Amino acid sequence: MNKSRISFIALMVLTVLTLTIVTGCGGNQAGQGGQKAKIAYYAFNSEPVLDWDPSVEFSNGIVVMNNIYETLLRYDPAENKIIPVLATAYTKSPDGLTWTFHLRKGVKFHDGTEMKADAVKFSIERTKKINKGAAYIWDPVQQINVKDDYTVEFKLSYAAPLDLIASCGYAAFIMSPKVAGQPEDWFAKGNDAGTGPYKVQSTKRGEEVVLTRFAEYWRGWEGNHFDKVIIKKVPETASRRQLVEKGEADVTIELPYEDVEALKNNPNVEVLTAPAFQNLFFCLNTEKAPLNNKLVRQALSYAFPYDDVVKYAMGNYATQARGPIPHGHWGHGDDLFQYKHDLVKAKELLARAGYPNGGFKLLLTYMSGDEAEKKAVELYKAELAKLNINLEVRGMPWESQWELAKSKDPNQRQDILVMYWWVDYASPYSWLRSIFHSEEDILFNLNYYKNPAFDKLIDEANARSGIDRAGAEKMFIDAQKILVEDAPAIFAYDKKYVWIYNKHFKGLKSNAAYPNTIFFYDTYRE
Amino acid sequence: MRSFILKRLGLGVLVLLGVITVTFFITRVIPSDPAAQWVGPRATPQQIAAARAELGLDQPLYVQYGKYISQLVHGDLGRSLRSHQPVVDELKAYLPATIELVVLSTIMAVFLGIPLGVISAKRKDHLVDHISRIFSVGAVSLPTFWVGLFLQLVFYRLLGVLPLGDQLSTDVKLLYEIPHITGFLLLDSLVTGNLVVFKDALVHMILPGITVALYPLGLVARMTRSALLEILNEDYISAARSYGLPERLLLWKYALKNSLGPTVTVVTLSIGYTLVNTFLIEAIFSWPGIGSYISTAVISLDYPAIMGVTIFSAIAYVILNMIADLIIALDPRVRA
Repeated sequence: MNKSRISFIALMVLTVLTLTIVTGCGGNQAGQGGQKAKIAYYAFNSEPVLDWDPSVEFSNGIVVMNNIYETLLRYDPAENKIIPVLATAYTKSPDGLTWTFHLRKGVKFHDGTEMKADAVKFSIERTKKINKGAAYIWDPVQQINVKDDYTVEFKLSYAAPLDLIASCGYAAFIMSPKVAGQPEDWFAKGNDAGTGPYKVQSTKRGEEVVLTRFAEYWRGWEGNHFDKVIIKKVPETASRRQLVEKGEADVTIELPYEDVEALKNNPNVEVLTAPAFQNLFFCLNTEKAPLNNKLVRQALSYAFPYDDVVKYAMGNYATQARGPIPHGHWGHGDDLFQYKHDLVKAKELLARAGYPNGGFKLLLTYMSGDEAEKKAVELYKAELAKLNINLEVRGMPWESQWELAKSKDPNQRQDILVMYWWVDYASPYSWLRSIFHSEEDILFNLNYYKNPAFDKLIDEANARSGIDRAGAEKMFIDAQKILVEDAPAIFAYDKKYVWIYNKHFKGLKSNAAYPNTIFFYDTYRE
Repeated sequence: MRSFILKRLGLGVLVLLGVITVTFFITRVIPSDPAAQWVGPRATPQQIAAARAELGLDQPLYVQYGKYISQLVHGDLGRSLRSHQPVVDELKAYLPATIELVVLSTIMAVFLGIPLGVISAKRKDHLVDHISRIFSVGAVSLPTFWVGLFLQLVFYRLLGVLPLGDQLSTDVKLLYEIPHITGFLLLDSLVTGNLVVFKDALVHMILPGITVALYPLGLVARMTRSALLEILNEDYISAARSYGLPERLLLWKYALKNSLGPTVTVVTLSIGYTLVNTFLIEAIFSWPGIGSYISTAVISLDYPAIMGVTIFSAIAYVILNMIADLIIALDPRVRA
C-alpha cells in the first residue's frame, strides 16, 4: 500500500471519526419532548412578528402580542361570551354612546408601572393617532375620559359594539404610558410594555421570538405553566411535521392536509380542528360584461363545484360557505339560500341571459403559492369548460393581483379575483362593509358591488350593534339575503383551523376571534 | 498593477450602478402598491394615502430614483415595507449566519476537494478515480434542495443523530448566554470560551454545511484533477522524475502547487454561486440567514429589502471577480 493511499484512508477515517464524535454529542440535543420541561415551542409557518409596535402590528404578530399585551376584554365566540381581562366590568348608556369600563386593580406593566385609567386612555389614543394597522377599529370613539384611577369612559359617535372592539386581537392592546418617552426604534429593538404573562427575552428579527414569564403577572404563577415560550419560523412543512413528530416542537399549524391525515395515526400527535373566521371568496367583476348580468353571476355560482373543492382542495378541513359571514360567527345566516353545484341550472340561467352556449372567456387571478386556491381554481375551470366558458387562470402575488383589481377601467381588471377575508374585531360589518359596501376608491370591494339599499341596511345595523345586537343581527342577515340573490361573489368555503400538537401539550384552545393565537398562559405540559 | 486595480474598481462601480438602476426600475414597474404594503393588509384609503406621501411615492419616478441613490451613498437602503425596519439593520442581523455557512462550506470544499482531486489524478482510471468522479459529478449535478431534504431524512428522522435545522437547539438557545460580538456564532462562542454553545452551533452546521459544500467540492475535485494531470504531462515534471525526485514530493509539492491557479479561481468564482445556493438551502434548514429574508421579501414584493439583498449580492460578485482577476494577474506567466 503506498503512502498516498494511506493518507487518503487516514483522512476518511478522520472525517468519519469527527462526524461521529460531534454527532454523538449532538444526539441528545436533537431532543426528546419530555426533557425540556417548562419550555413551549411553537413551530410557526411564517415570521412571528412584523412590527413590534402594539399599535401598528396587524399581521402574524398577534400570535406573539397576545401573550405579551392584554386587552380590556376578550371574546369567546364559541360560547358567545365576553371575558373580562384588564377590565373587570363595563356598562353602556341606553343609547349605546357612552361606555364605562371598570379596571382591574393591582395590574402591573412589565416596567413596574401600575395599570390605571390614564394608561388605557393613552394606549387607545396613541393607536388612533398613529393610525396604522387596524387602528380604524376605533373610528367610532370620539373621546376618552379618565373618571378616576380605575374607571374610564368612552364617548362614541354611534352605537358601535365597543366590547367587541376592545376585545380585538389587533390594535386594542393596553401599554404602559412610559412608552411615550421612548425613542422611535424602542419597540423594534425588542422592548415591550405590556401587562401580559410573558415578556420578550430575546428575538431574532423575522425568525423567532423567545418569551419569558413576567414574575409579577396579575394572575400569578400557581399551578402548571410554561416558564418560557419560543415561537419560531419554520417555513418548510416537512420540517414542521418532523419537529412535532419527534416531540421537539410542541405545536404547529398549516401542514398539508395529506400530512395531517397521516399524523392522525401517530399516537404521539394530536390533531384539533376548529372553526376559523376566515373564508374564501371568488369576487366577480360586476362592472364588466358578461358578469354585470345577475343571471350570469348566478349561473357561475351554480357552476362552482363546492363539494369537490372542500374535499380535494381543502381535504375536508372546510365547509361550504353559507353567505359571506362564516359559520359560528354572529350574523351567520343558517337559513340563507345556498347555491349547489348544478350545471343544468347554470346552463338554464346562461340561456336566459343570452348565452345558451356559453362561448365567452373569463380571466381569473388567485394568490400564487396558495395550493388550496390553486386546486379550487383548477376544479372550477374544469366545470366552466363543460359550459363552454373558457376560464384563464393566473397565479399572482397578492399585491399584483390587488393592483390589477384596483384599475380604474373595469375592462382592465380581472373578471374573477380569489381572496380570503378574516376577522378583525368580531362583527359582520367587518365583512359586509369591507367587501360589499359601495366605495369611492376601490379598496376591498373587489366585486365593485353598489347597492344603496344594502349599504343603508348594514350601516344601520352597525350603528345599532352596540345596543341591540339581536336586532342588528337580523338586519345583517337580511342584508346577506340581498347579496346571495345578487351574487356579486361566489361564497366558496369557510376554513377550519388545524392544530397539530404533541400529546403532552395541554390546555390548547382554539379561539376563532384570534387567528393562529395560542394563549400560552393557559397551556402546560403533562 | 495599480492601474489594473483602479480600472477593475471603476468597472466594478459601473456594474453596481447598472444593477441598482435596473433593479430599481424593475421593482417599480411590477404592478404592486408599496404604500398599501406599508400600512398592512387591510388599510383604509386614508392610511394608504398617508403612507404614499410618507414614502415619497407620490413623486415622479426619477425623483424617487435620485433620492434612492443619494440615500444609498449615505449607506441607507431604506426601510422594509413589511417590518418597517431599516434594511441595513436587517441585513446586519441576517448576514452573519449566511456568511458563516458560506465560509465553512468553502473551507470544507477546499480541504476535501483538493486531496480528492490529487488522489484521482494520481490513480487515474483506477477504482478510486472512478468513485471520485461519480462523487464529484453527483455533487455538482444533484439538486442541493433534494440533497438537503435527503440528509435530514437520514440523519434526523431515521438515525436521530443530527438536528433538523436552525443554528442552535432550543434548550441551548434559551438556557445559555449567547455571545454576540461579531454576530458569527461559531467565532463568538469560541472567543468567549462558551463551549456548550460552540459545540451546539457546530453540530447544527454539519448538515447545511455539507449540503452547501457539495457543489464547490465537486468542482474543486474535478478542477484539481484535470489541472494536475495536465501538469504531470509537462516536460519539467518528467525531467524532475528522471532526476529521481520522490514521487510524493513531485506530486504534492511541485505539480500541485503549479496546478492550484485554476482551482483557486474556480473557488473564488464559485463562492458567488455558493452564496446564492445558500439562500435556497436556508429555507430547508430554517437557517436564520439572508436566504429566508430574501424569500419572504420576494413573495411579499418588499422592494427595499429585495434591492438591499441584490445590491449586497452584486457587491459580493464584483469583489470576488476582482479577487479572481487579481490572482490570475499575479501569476507571472499570465502577466508575461
